[in-house]
Amino acid sequence: MTPNVPVISIKKLTKTYQMGDVAVHALRSVSLDIQAGEFVTVVGPSGSGKSTLMHILGCLDQPTSGQYFLDGKDVSRLSDDEVSTVRNKKIGFVFQGFNLLTRTSALENVELPLLYGPDPVSATERRARAMAALEAVGLGSRYEHHPNQLSGGQQQRVAIARALLNNPSILLADEPTGNLDSRTSVEVMDIFQSLKKERGITIVLITHEPDVAAYGSRIISFRDGVITSDELNTRRRTARGELAELPEPLEESA
Amino acid sequence: MALKTSWIISLKALRRNKLQTALTMIGMTIGVATVLTMIALGSGAQSAIQDQVKAAGMNMIVVKAGNYSAQQEAVPDDAIEPAAYSGWPQRGGWGSGVFVPGKATLLRSYFHPEDDPFAVHDHPTARQRLGDSEAGLGAAATLTIADADAIRRIGGVQYVSEGVHENAHVVYGDTRWFTRMHGDDVSMPRIKRAWTFVHGEYFSKRQEANAEQVVVLGSIVAEKLFGTENPVGKTVKLWNQSFKVMGVVSTTNWMVAPAPGDDEFDAIYIPVTTVQKLLNLSKLNDITVTTQSTGEVTRVSKQITELLRVRHGITAKRPDDFQVISQAHKALTGGGMRTDVQRAVVGNVAGLEKVTLDQLGKTLDRASATMTALLGSIATVSLIVGGIGIMNIMLLSVTERTKEIGIRRAVGAKAQDVLLQFLLESITLSVVGGLLGVLIGYIASASISKVLQWSTQVSLVSVAVSFGISAAVGVFFGYYPARQASQVLPIASLKYE
Repeated sequence: MTPNVPVISIKKLTKTYQMGDVAVHALRSVSLDIQAGEFVTVVGPSGSGKSTLMHILGCLDQPTSGQYFLDGKDVSRLSDDEVSTVRNKKIGFVFQGFNLLTRTSALENVELPLLYGPDPVSATERRARAMAALEAVGLGSRYEHHPNQLSGGQQQRVAIARALLNNPSILLADEPTGNLDSRTSVEVMDIFQSLKKERGITIVLITHEPDVAAYGSRIISFRDGVITSDELNTRRRTARGELAELPEPLEESA
Repeated sequence: MALKTSWIISLKALRRNKLQTALTMIGMTIGVATVLTMIALGSGAQSAIQDQVKAAGMNMIVVKAGNYSAQQEAVPDDAIEPAAYSGWPQRGGWGSGVFVPGKATLLRSYFHPEDDPFAVHDHPTARQRLGDSEAGLGAAATLTIADADAIRRIGGVQYVSEGVHENAHVVYGDTRWFTRMHGDDVSMPRIKRAWTFVHGEYFSKRQEANAEQVVVLGSIVAEKLFGTENPVGKTVKLWNQSFKVMGVVSTTNWMVAPAPGDDEFDAIYIPVTTVQKLLNLSKLNDITVTTQSTGEVTRVSKQITELLRVRHGITAKRPDDFQVISQAHKALTGGGMRTDVQRAVVGNVAGLEKVTLDQLGKTLDRASATMTALLGSIATVSLIVGGIGIMNIMLLSVTERTKEIGIRRAVGAKAQDVLLQFLLESITLSVVGGLLGVLIGYIASASISKVLQWSTQVSLVSVAVSFGISAAVGVFFGYYPARQASQVLPIASLKYE
């Protein structure tokens, strides 16, 4: 991809939900460009439309009107099958609730995207790639653990490993620290920052906490379905530095 | 996505919910096991009825030489008819065989070549073979081994045994026993289904072909001559000839125990070829025929009659020189009926009585088939219940696993991938459940026949049917939940907690 073409480009995006007789305008003609390698945080109160934006960016939902170009390709009007392939290949999700399969090992959870890829991947290759992804997030030794045997932070790291398995163009994170304590939150943010720095991955992170938003390189504020501010973050927090100052974790020694 | 991958996904999903998987499968297992056991019981009963009918001789036809039911002895073609004779009654009425009491006259006055005192025959003439009660009542030595071979070629015929019967003294050491001697074919033990061999076995085909001097003793004869000793391998004397004892035959029928004087077990059996050789006979007393199915007795009887008439060169207006007797015939003539009535009935409505008993056999067949169908359909209901169980669990599972579906959709699963996963899950449940059911059904049928002594029959068809139904149930009842699962919206499912 050429640097000039933005990874994400949305034009006059509108999303209207019909709630009985009332039409809820979640997004009102939003336009936005995100360049490769940006770490964008989207903030706003609940009901501001940021989650709707996230679903559309993640191809989990389709806009009522407007266009969405992902890697220069319009994905707002694709069929369900095509959209599934886009999700599989180009988008990685990290959710607030982790969304791991229960009673399934960390390794098998990470493997999941490879099972649904358009090209068949052998079982040994699936395993090798999933293992490598787990090691990258520091969970190589816990590949056999089920989600209920892992801490929140560990579960979120498994989810990140899964999201990155297919080397997606964008990583979408929806309140990734919402269920985590502050120290674990910082750890997760550290992973995101290093991903941006080391691998140049484009990250869109949604949060309602300004503290968390401060880790991004660009902060977009939402209110009532419109962008109220969009500015580069000049006072960026660095998770790595903060981690060093925090006391030794108790959880990680377990 | 490859079917194999989908299947692996399904298996993993099933493994995650072991208890649920097991419980769902049990429904299917019980269904299939029930169907299989029911059908096994049903067809077991059916074949048991068939066996009983066959053991009772319902499928047995005896062709006897001579025809006393025709009353007056037929004038042989080669008889020299006195030109002056004019009192020949009922010319043209032979075929009907109507018996007219009081008018029975044996036309002995006719000259018959067999009666020629100067003729030399290769077999005893009818008159000479006294001891055959029918002698003089139309007994004619007309049946040959070639006739028996011709009958063997009729379609629907199962076994054919030539028969020569005499009374004989059997001698072992100082002990003598006067008994009935049967010259038979090797197929006799298969015709007499109730037979069982206490010692040894029946003589072999080869021994029959070589006309060897071997004998099989009825259990009464064995007891009289040998006591409790095992007679196999010993030598007995018959007509001053040595015969090697091959076996001792008794019956499995507990209703009629072997007794001295009966025709089957107070008797000895010798290859028909041996008897013919030793006694210098070329003709047979009778031919015993069994049909493959009870329902064919009438047709086969008719065909035998036609065949033998042609072979014996009997013209249309002449009576048969043999009798074709089926069990029906015996039942009618053996029931303490007045002899004249019996003869009238047998003579006049021969076809009718055969048909009725024949139909009894068919009715029994039909009744047991109906029973099998009934049992099978009751059991099929349980299969359907098992199928609905699967559908229930799968539907519940779709709701319960909305989140799982959402996760899969989010990482790139297509709607059809989800459909396939759920469909394969239910198919796996029903097929594995079905296989277990086949196994359990088989064991159940085997134990039922062992413990309750009921006859069961697990046929390949019933296994295929019940297994096929279970797979079909999996597809049929699994499709709707699977479709529901595939239509779950990706975001809706992610919000679902």
